Amino acid sequence: MRNLIAAMLTFASGAALAQEATPAPETAPASEATPASEAAPASEAAPASPSPDERMTNAEGKVASIEEQLIEIKGILSPLTKLKFSGYVQARYQWEESREDGTGGYSRFLVRRGRIKATYTGDLVQYMLQIDAVPTGVTVRDAEATLFIPGTKQNMSVTLGQLKWPFGYESVQSSSDREFPERTRVVRAFLPDERDRGVKYAGKFGVFRLGIGLFDGNGMSYPGSVGVDNDKEKDFVGRAGFDAKWISGGVSGWYGHTMGRGAGETYRHAHERSRVGADLQVYLDFLPVGATALKGEYIKGKTYVSNGAELLDRQASGWYVLLVQNIGLHDAVAVRYDYFDAASGVPAAAASEGSDRPAGTNAVGTIGATVVHYFGENLKLSATYEHPMTATVSGVKDPRDNVLTAQLQARF
Amino acid sequence: MKNFIASIAAVLLLALPGAARAGTITVKGSDTMVILGQRWAEEFMKKNPTIKLQVTGGGSGVGLSALINGTTDIAMSSRPMKEAEGEKLRTRFNTTGTEISVAKDGVTFYVNENNPLDALTQEQLKGIYLGDITNWKEVGGPDAPIIVYSRENSSGTYVFVKDNLLNGDDYTSSAQTLPGTAAVVNAVSKEKNGIGYGGAAYAKGIKELKIKKGNEAIAPSAENIKSGKYPLSRDLYFYLRNKPAADAKTFIDYVLSPEGQALVTKVGYFPVK
Repeated sequence: MRNLIAAMLTFASGAALAQEATPAPETAPASEATPASEAAPASEAAPASPSPDERMTNAEGKVASIEEQLIEIKGILSPLTKLKFSGYVQARYQWEESREDGTGGYSRFLVRRGRIKATYTGDLVQYMLQIDAVPTGVTVRDAEATLFIPGTKQNMSVTLGQLKWPFGYESVQSSSDREFPERTRVVRAFLPDERDRGVKYAGKFGVFRLGIGLFDGNGMSYPGSVGVDNDKEKDFVGRAGFDAKWISGGVSGWYGHTMGRGAGETYRHAHERSRVGADLQVYLDFLPVGATALKGEYIKGKTYVSNGAELLDRQASGWYVLLVQNIGLHDAVAVRYDYFDAASGVPAAAASEGSDRPAGTNAVGTIGATVVHYFGENLKLSATYEHPMTATVSGVKDPRDNVLTAQLQARF
Repeated sequence: MKNFIASIAAVLLLALPGAARAGTITVKGSDTMVILGQRWAEEFMKKNPTIKLQVTGGGSGVGLSALINGTTDIAMSSRPMKEAEGEKLRTRFNTTGTEISVAKDGVTFYVNENNPLDALTQEQLKGIYLGDITNWKEVGGPDAPIIVYSRENSSGTYVFVKDNLLNGDDYTSSAQTLPGTAAVVNAVSKEKNGIGYGGAAYAKGIKELKIKKGNEAIAPSAENIKSGKYPLSRDLYFYLRNKPAADAKTFIDYVLSPEGQALVTKVGYFPVK
């Protein structure tokens, strides 16, 4: 700080000295300064201004040179218009009620998603890389190289890399667009993290949509399979759908195998991993306050992921229905019921240790409601309350595990 | 509890800018349509002084983007909404939007009035705009380089020409982009070797090219555009998020009324009714 003051004083005194050193100009009387007889003729004193033609020629020359520069700049900047950056951060406060036995329950702040995505789209190519940076680590979510099939006006493409499975509706939908903070239980079980390494063909034929692909099958974070597949088994995944604007939907299928050791097995062998699904979305515009959407999906399958482990040969099924009502330009409310039967055909039971808790295989139905407020196009605030209802048997209570989530999402 | 109420109040206050716009209908988008939109607005407000209309240009893409972002009530567009735009609208507002055709137009190609050519085929125009044809003598004109003028990529006319004339291919990189149809007309009127395009309403003081089809040269006339004979005729649209209601409906009813459609003809476009 002292140095700064010293420097300022030095500068100020220097300026003062400079002022003192400059002598004031001597002002001569007007008559002495330029005697009328010695004054230069007007033509010499001020050169003649250019003619309109000359000025026009000069101006045209300048415009032509600016146009040349513009064409050059356009050539340089044109590829950059094909490169787009986007991203979003979902910051949350979550509260879960404590269970009667004192377990569970939390009150926490967290950064659920911190995405940044770069997409370059050319006539025949698309590059896409999406990173998720959150306090627990940085992961690559999408790394896609796409070829648009020539002559199809980008209606057909082949994508290779780490990409979303072409299955159902909710798994493909962006988390930044969803009204509820998390996907439903059934989708989280059958399509964990929604992505995998593989190759996909996507085609549009009028209102019809087709997406089929060959994938490793284990997802992007399954232990033993992070970044590479842990076996030679590949899975076919696909969806055939339609999109008639106010109504859209499709049927999805998945067939493949996974290598693993089931209960009582000495060696690993291939276990079936399959799913079938159907989804439907209807967009209505009958209320004066805003549009209404009704969406639903059903999935049934064998072998899925629970708590990071693959449950081999386990049959499960689930469905959800979601109603969204927009209110004016800035608000929306939504209600969702989702149901997941973690072991289809197995009756509800108590936990194996004989406690008064329900077994992990019991079906869970969750009713949730959310209100969303949009502060313009980049900021969204939502408050969601979810009430899970676990199937129980005599002597076992439905755990208290309701969750409140307040989320602020900023995107660009 | 007090804090909670204060927080709710803060949220409502932040939401007020949106609410404050109520009572004014904003109309934004296509530069081709902006003069028409302004004329409609002027006449409409004379008859309905309690309803305020704000009409601005920017291009069809800008208008549709504003509709998707919730910053305009009506988007003017000289091209149909793209699938990607429809998906964004559905994602954000759970609606498929409402499309209303409010006028017709023909995309006209302009050359300098001293250019001896009167007509070109679509293939020749395509060659010029793709950069395959660079000299007027290649299409029967004088030995002079062709100076190509285009619109910015936010313009619906730009997209229309790209989709309907160039079959989706990119414009020649030597095409000079200009911010509006009036600017294109102005440039072509001053550049004797120039060629540009735009709506018929602006084609004054320069020569409008006919489009050759076999032995016939089809002019961008009212009859040819209304009948669809002129190959580059198109609809001009209003897009809304939901079905027209309240003041917006009153305005659109006026636009589609005989009086509103008469204004279309006065401005130089063609009525839909």
